[in-house]
Amino acid sequence: MVTEYGIKFTVNLINNHFGNLVAKVCENLLRRGPLTLQLIVRYTELTPQQVKNSLLILIQHNCVQAFSYEQDGGLEDGPKSNTQYMALFNNILHRMRFSKFLEIMSREFDDKCKELLEGLLQHGRLTLKQMVERAKDLAERAKSRKKEGICENLVQESLVKLFTARYVERCPASEPVLAARNKEDTPAKKRGPKSARTAEESQTLEQRVLAAAAPMEAQRFSAITNNESAVGRETSMDDSPGMRVGAKRKYDASELHIEPAAEEEVILWRANFEEFIRCLRHKACIENVRERLDDGAATVLRAMLEATRSLENKVKTEKSVPLSLNNIFEEVMKSEEGRGMTLDLVRASLVQLGCSPSARGTDESYKIDLKKIIELAQNDEVESIVLKRYGRDAYRMFRLLSKNGRLVETDKIANTTFVEKKDAPKILYKLWKDEYLHMEKLVVAGARQSQFLLWKVNKPCLWKHVLDEMFHAALNLSQRVAYEREKEKEFLNLPVDKQVMSQEERLNRLKSVRIVLESSLLKLDDALMLFHDFEESSLLKLDDAIMLSHDL
Amino acid sequence: MAFRGRGRGRGYGGAGGYGFAKQEPFELFPDIELPNIKSVHKEETLVRESVKLQNFWKASAYYLDETVSKNSRSTEIERYSDMKKPRSTITRDSLSQILELKRFPQELIGGSKGQRPSQKKVRWNPESELQKLDYLEKLEQRAQGQENKDEKEKKEGENEDEDENDGEEDIEEEPSDDDYFQNVEFDDDDDDFNDVDDGGEDEGTF
Repeated sequence: MVTEYGIKFTVNLINNHFGNLVAKVCENLLRRGPLTLQLIVRYTELTPQQVKNSLLILIQHNCVQAFSYEQDGGLEDGPKSNTQYMALFNNILHRMRFSKFLEIMSREFDDKCKELLEGLLQHGRLTLKQMVERAKDLAERAKSRKKEGICENLVQESLVKLFTARYVERCPASEPVLAARNKEDTPAKKRGPKSARTAEESQTLEQRVLAAAAPMEAQRFSAITNNESAVGRETSMDDSPGMRVGAKRKYDASELHIEPAAEEEVILWRANFEEFIRCLRHKACIENVRERLDDGAATVLRAMLEATRSLENKVKTEKSVPLSLNNIFEEVMKSEEGRGMTLDLVRASLVQLGCSPSARGTDESYKIDLKKIIELAQNDEVESIVLKRYGRDAYRMFRLLSKNGRLVETDKIANTTFVEKKDAPKILYKLWKDEYLHMEKLVVAGARQSQFLLWKVNKPCLWKHVLDEMFHAALNLSQRVAYEREKEKEFLNLPVDKQVMSQEERLNRLKSVRIVLESSLLKLDDALMLFHDFEESSLLKLDDAIMLSHDL
Repeated sequence: MAFRGRGRGRGYGGAGGYGFAKQEPFELFPDIELPNIKSVHKEETLVRESVKLQNFWKASAYYLDETVSKNSRSTEIERYSDMKKPRSTITRDSLSQILELKRFPQELIGGSKGQRPSQKKVRWNPESELQKLDYLEKLEQRAQGQENKDEKEKKEGENEDEDENDGEEDIEEEPSDDDYFQNVEFDDDDDDFNDVDDGGEDEGTF
C-alpha cells in the first residue's frame, strides 16, 4: 500500500542518500505514476541533464524501472521515444533495512560474502569484474597479503554461494517492451463497476513491467551467459529450472569458470531483496510463535521454514511448503535447540501450531498457515496501539469489535465488555474520530423515533491508516536524527570557549542519541514490514488504479 | 491591511462564523510523552552498518549536489587563507566511472560522448577520504584502538581544538597511505576557469 506519508518517508530516504535533486525526480514519479523524460523535466523544473543523472542513479539502485510500449506500426515521422520511468516504492523502502540484510549475511555466510553483498548494496548493481576490483582495493587498504590471485577466486566463490542461495540475482532488462493495451476495450471496461475492473485487471502495471523486465527464471540465479549456452554446453540445464539448483551444486569454485562474457553480455548482479524479505518474514513468524506459544513450537517452525525456504514460490506465501513428519523431525534435530526434542514433542508442537496432517497413512505431511500468524501479529500490534493510546476500556471494546467483524450497537458493546454505559459512547467516538472505527447511524421509526449508533472495525481501511501513521512516525524519527546532527555541527562550529560541554561529551551524547533514535527506527521498520511487506493488501492499491487509468 | 487577521481575531472570535485562525508559536518538535528509554533495545551493530552505508552514499558519485553556477565559481580567486579553511565541496567520482552505460535506456546516455565509459579508477572507499569525516566513525575507530586510547584522545582533543569542525584527517591511527591515494585521479588539465569534468556538475558528466 502506498500512502501519503509512505511517499513522504521514501522521498526523505532518497534525499538523505542521494540528495534533493534525485529526491525531486523520485517524488514526481511516486505521486504521478510512470512519466516520460520530458514530463519529468517539466514537472521538476530541473535541467534535462540533472534529470537524466537522477534517473541513472535511481535505475542503478533499482529504485526505478524503465519500460516502453509497443509502437503501433503507422504514420510516424521518425523514431519517437515513449520510454517511461516507474518508481518502485517497495525497493526504495528496502533501503532503510540494508543493515538487516547484512546481518542475515553475517549469520549465514562468511566475511567475504558479507563484503560482496555490502558492495552490491552500496552500488545497487555491479559486474563480477567490478566486484573483484573492489575486493582487491579493500584488501589492499586492509594491508592483507596475497591479495592477487586468491582474491579473484574468493570473489567468484562468494558470488556462486550467494546466487545459489538466491541472495543475489541478475539485474532485470533495462527497457522491456509492453504490449500496448487494446484501446477499443477500454470504454467498456471503464463503464463497469470498480470491483469488476479489479477482478479483470489481475495484474497491475507495476507487476506487468516487473514481469516483463525480469530475466528468465532459469537464468536469474545463474552465471551462464547466452553465449555459453549457444556453444551447447549448458542447454539442457537452462531448459529445466528444477535442475538448476542441482546442476549448480556440481560445480565448485575451481570448476565453475565464470566466463568473462563477451561485450554484448555483461552480467550485472544485484541483491535479491525478495529473498531477504522472505527471511525476515520467517523470522517475524518464528518470534510471534515464540511469544504466543513456546520455544518448542518456535524451534519446530524454524526448522520447517529453513528446510523449505528455497521451495517457496513467492514471498507472501499463505501456507508453508508441506513436509512429512519425519523430515520435520530430521530438520529439528539439526538445530541446537531442537536436539533435545522427541518425536512426540515435535508432534505436540505441530498441534499447537494449528496444523493437522493433510494425508492419512504413513506419509502425513504438515504445513503451517503463515498468513494466519502474520494476521495475529498484526492484530496484536494494533491492539497494543489502542491500549497505549486510549486505555484498557477502549482496548477491550476494540478487541471485541475486531474479533466480531460485524456492526455492533453501543449498549451491547458496553454490556459485553463491562464498560460503563455513559463512558462507552465517548470512548467509541474518540476511536472513530481517529479513524480506528467505522460508525453507522441507525434510525428506527416507530412509536418514538430512536437513533442507534453501530460500530465496526473495518480492517483493510484501518490497516492502511495504521501503516500511514507508522510511516509518519518513521519520517519524524528520521527528521529528528537529521536535526540532532545539524545541531552538533553548529555546536562544533562554535569557538571552544563558548562550548558548554566538552567536544568529547557532546560527541558521546550524539552517539547515544543517534543509537536510540536509529534503533527505534529499526524496530518501527519491523512493524512496517508486518503491514506492508509480509501480507498482500486486499484493496486495489490506489496508486495502481491511477496508473491503470493512465495506461488506459 | 495586514493587521486585520491578527488583532481583531481575539475579540470577534465568537461573534458569528468561525472567526479568525488563532496564531500559535511554531514548534519544530513539540514535547510529547515518550516511553522509557530503557525499553528501547539498542541495536549497535545494525546502527553502525546503517551509518556506514549512509556515509558511503554521501561521499559517492551517486549523491547529486545542487551545484553552484560556474560563473560565480570562476570569479573567486583562491587565497592562501582558503587553504586553512575546511573545504566545503567534496570531490566525487563521476557516474561514468561506475555505471555500465550500455545497460541503461538510450535516451539517458545519449550522445557519442556517453558511449565511452570513463577510464578513471573507481574509488571504492570514498567515505574514508571524505574531508568531513563522520564523528561517530571517529569515535568507533578510537574505541577499537584499545592500545594508547587515552593518548589518542588527548591528541584528538588537541587536534580538534586547532582545526575547525570538519578539519583535515588528523587521526593518528589512520593509515597515512591515504595521502598517496588522494591524487590518483588528479588531472593536471582541470582548470577552474575552463571546463571541469568532475562529478556533481549539472552539465554532462560523460
